[in-house]
Amino acid sequence: MKIRWMILFFPVVSVVMLSLLVQQHAARAAAPQGALAAASVASAASITSGPQAIPDTTLAINSATPMSQRVVHYEIDAKYDATKHTVDATEVLTYHNLTGQALDHFPFHLYQNAFQPNATWVRETKVEGGRDVSYEKWEDKDYGSEEIKSLEVVGQGDLTSKVQYIQPDDGNKDDKTVVDVHLPKPIAPGEYVQFKIAFQTKFPETQARSGWKHDFVLGGQWFPKVGVFWHGAWNCHQYHAFTEFFADFGVFDVKLTVPKNEIVGASGVLIDQKDSDNARTFTYHGDDIHDFAWTASPRYKVKEDGVFQGQMGPVQMRILMQPAHWSQVGRHEKILRESLEHFESWYGPYPYKTITLVDPESAEAGGMEYPTFITGDTSWFMPEGLKLPELVIEHEFGHQYWYGMVATNEFEDAWMDEGINSYSEVKVLDSILGKRTSILNLAGATVGEREMQRGSYASVADLDPIAQKAYDYYNNSSYAGITYGKTASVLLTLEGIIGEDVMAKAMRTYFMRYRFTHPTKEDSLKTIEEVSGQNLRWYFDQAIYGSQVMDYKVLKAESFPVNWYEEKKSASQKDKNTVYRSYVWLQRKGDFVMPVEVEIKFDNGEKVREHWDGASRWTKFTYEKKAKIESADIDPDHKIQIDRNDFNNSYRAEAYGRPARKLTNYWVFMTQWLGQALAWWAV
Amino acid sequence: MADHQGLLSGGWDRVGRNKRYIIWFYLLNLALACLGAASFNNQAHDFLDHSLRSERLVHSLDVGVLIEMFAQPEFGPTHASRIAGLHFAFLFFIATALFLPGVLQGYASTYRLPREDFFRACGRNLWRFIRLMIVAGIVMGIVAAALFGLHGVLEKKAAESTNELLLPEVQFAGLAVIFLVMAALRIWFDLAQADVVLSDQRAVRKSIGAGFRHTWRNLGRLLASYVVTTIVAAIVLMAGLFVWIKFVPPSSVLSAIIVSQLTLLLLLIPRFWQRGVAVTYYLQNMVAPIAVESFTPVPVALPVVNEPAPAPVIPSVPPEPQVS
Repeated sequence: MKIRWMILFFPVVSVVMLSLLVQQHAARAAAPQGALAAASVASAASITSGPQAIPDTTLAINSATPMSQRVVHYEIDAKYDATKHTVDATEVLTYHNLTGQALDHFPFHLYQNAFQPNATWVRETKVEGGRDVSYEKWEDKDYGSEEIKSLEVVGQGDLTSKVQYIQPDDGNKDDKTVVDVHLPKPIAPGEYVQFKIAFQTKFPETQARSGWKHDFVLGGQWFPKVGVFWHGAWNCHQYHAFTEFFADFGVFDVKLTVPKNEIVGASGVLIDQKDSDNARTFTYHGDDIHDFAWTASPRYKVKEDGVFQGQMGPVQMRILMQPAHWSQVGRHEKILRESLEHFESWYGPYPYKTITLVDPESAEAGGMEYPTFITGDTSWFMPEGLKLPELVIEHEFGHQYWYGMVATNEFEDAWMDEGINSYSEVKVLDSILGKRTSILNLAGATVGEREMQRGSYASVADLDPIAQKAYDYYNNSSYAGITYGKTASVLLTLEGIIGEDVMAKAMRTYFMRYRFTHPTKEDSLKTIEEVSGQNLRWYFDQAIYGSQVMDYKVLKAESFPVNWYEEKKSASQKDKNTVYRSYVWLQRKGDFVMPVEVEIKFDNGEKVREHWDGASRWTKFTYEKKAKIESADIDPDHKIQIDRNDFNNSYRAEAYGRPARKLTNYWVFMTQWLGQALAWWAV
Repeated sequence: MADHQGLLSGGWDRVGRNKRYIIWFYLLNLALACLGAASFNNQAHDFLDHSLRSERLVHSLDVGVLIEMFAQPEFGPTHASRIAGLHFAFLFFIATALFLPGVLQGYASTYRLPREDFFRACGRNLWRFIRLMIVAGIVMGIVAAALFGLHGVLEKKAAESTNELLLPEVQFAGLAVIFLVMAALRIWFDLAQADVVLSDQRAVRKSIGAGFRHTWRNLGRLLASYVVTTIVAAIVLMAGLFVWIKFVPPSSVLSAIIVSQLTLLLLLIPRFWQRGVAVTYYLQNMVAPIAVESFTPVPVALPVVNEPAPAPVIPSVPPEPQVS
């Protein structure tokens, strides 16, 4: 073959081959979830891309190329013993050193060791409170554990003996939730290292949204997970009472063997399913995710025919319900679909091919987020007007964005996932269920989500700042009130400052810019400043970094006739020509300084708007008009959500007793009824 | 005397003939509750009257705003108001115990019981009723504790089941059984109360014994009457709340007061009806029969309920001398 033909031949063949490969890849990416067999073959081929590399698979996402900088590849082969609630597994972790420096040690989380009597999680929960305290009733056999049986580093031998428990946060020697492994040979920048770990995890009875109950199990935080090298150091915190998690993006290939009767749901897409004698092995694959969770129960009822047409492709909605809750499956699917719609339209596309919604057996396993996998929370009796399932599902789905994709450090910046997500929750639920009825709309009683968020904040307003490590909060109420409630209220107030549209644009920019990364608090705040074009430091310093409390008050609003001495003579009869001198006194009771608008209404219908910078402790406005003051109202457009006491923001010159009478009627009714009930049974 | 009347209709007749008792008890109930709510009323007016935000409480039952209000330190603790409410509810209970003997006496009468007799019955039976209440409290307390304990064990067992519906089913069934048992105990002591008052029984233990025997012998009949009246009470309460929620505009405080007070007034009726049933049963089955022997009259204890002797008819004009 002449050289010029050869020169032409090779590029042509290469282009044809490449096109075929791309076509095959795209077809695979678009393949529906049900096409297990074909997909598994493709996946198996892609996974074996070499022992020292992270696969560039896109089987589980609606994208032709990876969406994250993939640092880890976990290949786990696990067998679940449903009677002992244990998992025996092998894990092959391939880690790509993208830190720019040599790494000579690697810390791992062993989260299930938190459920030991002297572990930091239990100690803190006992003192500072927590969501789940059933560990107090446990016997020895009920505790959770996670044990590394062996650890080998490919090319460096068996390092099991070098595994050391460390306690970077509190020095509690009884805490075994973090281990550190020192490598004889450091891993150079850009190189890969492969760990082969054999481990056994024993789940506790459901606690902190992981574990078993009867024949149900939720496998969350169940395998040794490497820390995150972040800002020049390893970030691998112990498991604390209020903390959640932090991990690197990558690829997960998990084989899960369970008893044959179990129905399973998990992160990622199911690519294979094989039966043996009494067991069934499910193979799951996840792309661009940073954690992997699963659940199994023989009694789930499954709905998996729902498909959401997302911006990047179809998303299969798989819903696993408790049999007693099957009548609510429609509610579950509806809110999941509406949440997907809102998040896609407001923030950006949902790129994964699946979302699995689990209705867990136990409340302790409810309301949790894992990548492409969330748990709801309901009970057999759930009136339509009580929107708790909707609230939980929307919230946990929101975490697919604020945690799943924008993967902030939940140990150190819990407000960036829980708080920002609570803000989104208020917005989305307001839109779907109504501003004042988004939690309860039953028998004439209503509760709106934003009041609940502000209420939870108001009770702990001066205890902690938002920008604080999750394990440094005073107690559980403070963590919840500040991280969720205050952040949501602060962002709603910010929306009032920069405008709803600008805020929406800022949130979308923040999401699109930082998805599949680990942004810091400044990344988010600077994005808002950049998009709004405003210097908002004065606000962030107080609202995010400080613990200042906002409380504005209308001290008093009064009117007197200017010529009061003549009025006195004429028996105080009001004349339309009477000129009144009116005063409005405003007070800044809290230490949070923020400019506010005040609207003063006069009894001739006239309205006056004033601006107060709030710098001094109090101020006074004076008017001379042929009308008396009717009312004064700070923040008449209700832009401020972080004012601790909303009731004293306004003042009516003339008392209006109807609200108090209405409440007193309730009080009298209850007292009478109580007296009658007592007399009924006891006399 | 409706000797052969059914218990429910007999009881209902007595309630109907003595409606004033229900009115008086209702007024007492209302007055005490108003006193109990005075402190809360002041708190609410101080906090809400000058606030524009309080408007949101008027046009719906905005529980979110309500929770916020209670969470405000400026609203002040509701502890004192709650305690006051409890105290006045307890006072109503005491007042019921005090005045109940008069009601029972009135129900047993075939005529309108004079006020003096009403209060005489109250005073005469006060200490007996206190003793009865203590015994009833001990018995009902022990039984309730045992039943709720058992209920708790069953609940725990049911919670271990993978069938989630088993727990609410066990809870419902358990509460139904507890209600029936407690209602039977209530019948026992209601009959004892009737016996104490109407037989003028000083030895309370005898009335307790008689009440127990009769309850045991006629449990089905008595329990059915009490269950029916309790169901009526539940219907009254549910209907009242339904009307309140469905038809009363949230901003109309006056309509809410009328509907709620009417509900509470009607709610008193079923309990008084039960008292009427107990008195009817007593008169039909528990009054010691007056034994009359042919020739030797046996002295019979005078019933406590004495019809007033007919007033002598004094003619306005002197009677004319009888002419033989």
